[in-house]
Amino acid sequence: MTAYPMNPARRRFTWRFVPLMIGYSVLMVFSTGTIASQHPAGSTLAMLALLPAIPLVATIAVLGLYLVEETDEFVRHRHVVAMIWAVGAVLAVATVWGFLRTAGAVDEPPVYLAYPFWCVCYALAQGGQIVADRLAVRP
Amino acid sequence: MNNRLKVLRAERSWSQGDLAEALEVSRQSVNAIETGRYDPSLPLAFKIAELFGLAIEDVFVSPSKEA
Repeated sequence: MTAYPMNPARRRFTWRFVPLMIGYSVLMVFSTGTIASQHPAGSTLAMLALLPAIPLVATIAVLGLYLVEETDEFVRHRHVVAMIWAVGAVLAVATVWGFLRTAGAVDEPPVYLAYPFWCVCYALAQGGQIVADRLAVRP
Repeated sequence: MNNRLKVLRAERSWSQGDLAEALEVSRQSVNAIETGRYDPSLPLAFKIAELFGLAIEDVFVSPSKEA
């Protein structure tokens, strides 16, 4: 999101995204700490385990909202393309991992890392777009 | 899609930033359209043409008519 100058949609995205990530960090510490010290079971354990996922899932909605609100069609197009590259990377890794897992060559995949992995791929795809721009031959 | 954006801009002594501001888009958007790396939507193409007081076909070159 930093590759382009701020506009109202990007500003709103930041104001929504940052508090959610702070909330995620706080809930993550609270959840893991409570589970480790209190050893809860049943629905309490499930609730504590799910707590950090709530703000994280909300960031996905915030990303979607950003795409809806972005008025610069070129910027929106670039983000969508980068997101599709990231989805492709996650699906490719999941597919390869699945076959390796079926053969017993690797452990169960840490599925909770799918979204962070997607975010890394999304950022890399945006970086790739910037590099491609700089390498592009201008007419 | 080829276009005459750079020429039209130069005739008016507008920078990419000036044009971007008038179109309410980023400078990167103007650059991408100008260099043919991004084809604008019909509404944005109309907005560009109207800004220059021209018809769309006077700004953008139809792919079927490109040499």
